[in-house]
Amino acid sequence: MNNTLLELKNISYKYKNNLILNKVNLKINSGDKIALLGKSGSGKTTLISVLNGTIKPTDGEVKLFNKSFEELDRKQKSKITTIWQDLRLIEDLSAEQNVNCGLLAENNFYFAFKNLLNISSFKKAHKYMKLCRLHNSIYDKKIRKLSGGQKQRVAIARSLIQESNILLADEPFNNLDPKLITTIKNLMLESVDKNDTKKSAKTVFVALHRLDLLNDFDKVIGIRDGKIFFNIKRNKLKKIHLEKIY
Amino acid sequence: MNKLKLNHTSLSFLPLLVCIPLGYQLINNIHFGGFKLFQEFLISAFNPKIDNEIIITAIKRLNETILIGFFSWLVSIIFGAIFGIISSNIFYKIFNIPNFFNHIIRFCLTIIRSIHEVVWGIILMQIYGINFSIGIIAICIPYIAVNSKVFAEQLETIDYKSFESINQINAPKFSSLLTLIWNPIINTFKNFGLYRLECAIRSTVILGLFGIGGIGTSIFLSFQTLNFRELWTYLWSLAILIILSGLIFKKIKFNTTNKILSIFFIAVFFITILFSFLYFLYFIFNNNFENLNSVSSLFKSSSDLGLFDFLKLILETINLSLLSTGIAISLPPLVIGIFNNNSSKIFIKIFAFLLRLIPTPVILLTLLTFNNPSLSLAALTLGLHNAGITSKLLFTNLDNQDKRNYIAMKSLGISKKTSWLLGLFSQQAKSYLAYCAYRSDIIIRETAIVGIIGSVGLGWQLQESLSSFAWQEVTVVLIAYSSIAIVGELINGKIKNSLT
Repeated sequence: MNNTLLELKNISYKYKNNLILNKVNLKINSGDKIALLGKSGSGKTTLISVLNGTIKPTDGEVKLFNKSFEELDRKQKSKITTIWQDLRLIEDLSAEQNVNCGLLAENNFYFAFKNLLNISSFKKAHKYMKLCRLHNSIYDKKIRKLSGGQKQRVAIARSLIQESNILLADEPFNNLDPKLITTIKNLMLESVDKNDTKKSAKTVFVALHRLDLLNDFDKVIGIRDGKIFFNIKRNKLKKIHLEKIY
Repeated sequence: MNKLKLNHTSLSFLPLLVCIPLGYQLINNIHFGGFKLFQEFLISAFNPKIDNEIIITAIKRLNETILIGFFSWLVSIIFGAIFGIISSNIFYKIFNIPNFFNHIIRFCLTIIRSIHEVVWGIILMQIYGINFSIGIIAICIPYIAVNSKVFAEQLETIDYKSFESINQINAPKFSSLLTLIWNPIINTFKNFGLYRLECAIRSTVILGLFGIGGIGTSIFLSFQTLNFRELWTYLWSLAILIILSGLIFKKIKFNTTNKILSIFFIAVFFITILFSFLYFLYFIFNNNFENLNSVSSLFKSSSDLGLFDFLKLILETINLSLLSTGIAISLPPLVIGIFNNNSSKIFIKIFAFLLRLIPTPVILLTLLTFNNPSLSLAALTLGLHNAGITSKLLFTNLDNQDKRNYIAMKSLGISKKTSWLLGLFSQQAKSYLAYCAYRSDIIIRETAIVGIIGSVGLGWQLQESLSSFAWQEVTVVLIAYSSIAIVGELINGKIKNSLT
């Protein structure tokens, strides 16, 4: 059975005459737990932006559920969620309002309105914030008043609350201490396993720098200068692979 | 030889050169015919008329002024926010609408705000006759366009990455828009809203001078009858209103986390929109439009205005703007720098307050008591009034500034004036010039008011053409006016951007 969720065919992306992605081919199947490795500036963030449809490739084709992004409706598009490297939170809103923004897709305009007026329900937001080990004293604090680690966890909670099929994350463990990294990593990956039995399996695609975190992923992709150098199972990863990309 | 290098500090004083031609013409035009009147005007300031009748009249007129000012502010701030949203880039990005429509809306708003509320008022009065709503509409038209520009500028500060992030959540478009614009809109309202209310009250006073009602009308009638004691009663009561409103505005804090208050504001927002539409319909269907027929002759009426005369008027208007701007920029730092001691400061602050308080037409008419009407006199009036406004800003910024440099320079034995110039003002010069660039936009628009009273430039021609219902001439003058204001806004925008 074809269980491909996302597919990139011959993707290239040029920015100001620089080739950031060079003929990338990639298939992400339902339930995949993929780690993307590569040094800074290798094209990891651009690849994630192409995968979530934020940027349009210069060449090639992106298919989500076997359809191009233009053919998808809003609900189908909302099945991808992203944890951005630079977090992209709304600084003037509180932590809980930001997490509730993750629910905008499944709710109407009135919900957005209530969220801004602080009169919507924050029950679900609080649940995910608690899972991300955020203390309830920061729930109503403005983002600009939070520490780097707290902001990081708010961004993660905002993505997790969307309960999407595909979770893309760009270096999500920055600013976190080792204990929190384990907690957050388990949270991101566990959701895949838990939901596996319920409906369609959830999929995780994470750009990483730390090799010690690879153990929980089942596939590893290496990228260098916008080109995919390897796309292998994690247990097949050898030193020679890493030397190619670092 | 070393090249002359201009920095922001010296650039703040350079426009003072306008005083040379200005002073020359003013000295040549001096006369002593009205000196006694001028003396009486000054003495009356300390001896205003105070009796029951005039106090009741003043309160009644102030009430009218507050009502017109408040309603025009409320409508213009709300519609300003709406037009600000639909003329911001974020709106077009979220709804995937071609930016071409944004350019069209912005262009229309630029034209609307390029014409001063007094001009709108005079035109509307000519068409519909004098009534209470004309004052509100005349203020609302340019104010909506001005407010929309401020709101749109604030919305441009939204981080593009926040937009991408919300967009990627794939929320309904209106939800995304609301989430992104909510805080910039609220913050703009907090920082800018109450200031605009003060502006609306001032504009109501100016329009009052042209017969729209309120305290402005009383001020003008007292001046016309040379009843200076009565005039000062009205001016002082206006001063009390402005000081009180300033104190109240300082105390008002908008707490957006207060749910009941937020819901109240939203209710006011929607009720105002609904009421405005209903009132607009009522106005359209219930007005007798006495002189509207004369507008239909727009393309039939012929113009006696020769090209040469017309170009001369345009040049006069540009000249008037430049000379006034020069005074408004350079006079405050010069006076504050020279008279740099505590007692002088109090005197300068009071004088600046009076310059802001007394409407420009009244300043001009007062100066006419000892000087013949001329372009220089109109420029001096407009310059002085605006210097009152720029000096307020300069005083506030200087008071809030860290004074360590100034103290250090004084401790080195450097004179007080030089220490003030290099240790205090030099650090403010850049932001002061940026504000003056914005102010000069307003000065260009205000040339219409002094033009009408002082028989100078396009303002005077506009009044003449309107009086004779020569709509073709009115249109030509308005186009010229608008063009000067738009070009001025573009140049000042570039200057402002280079300074900020």
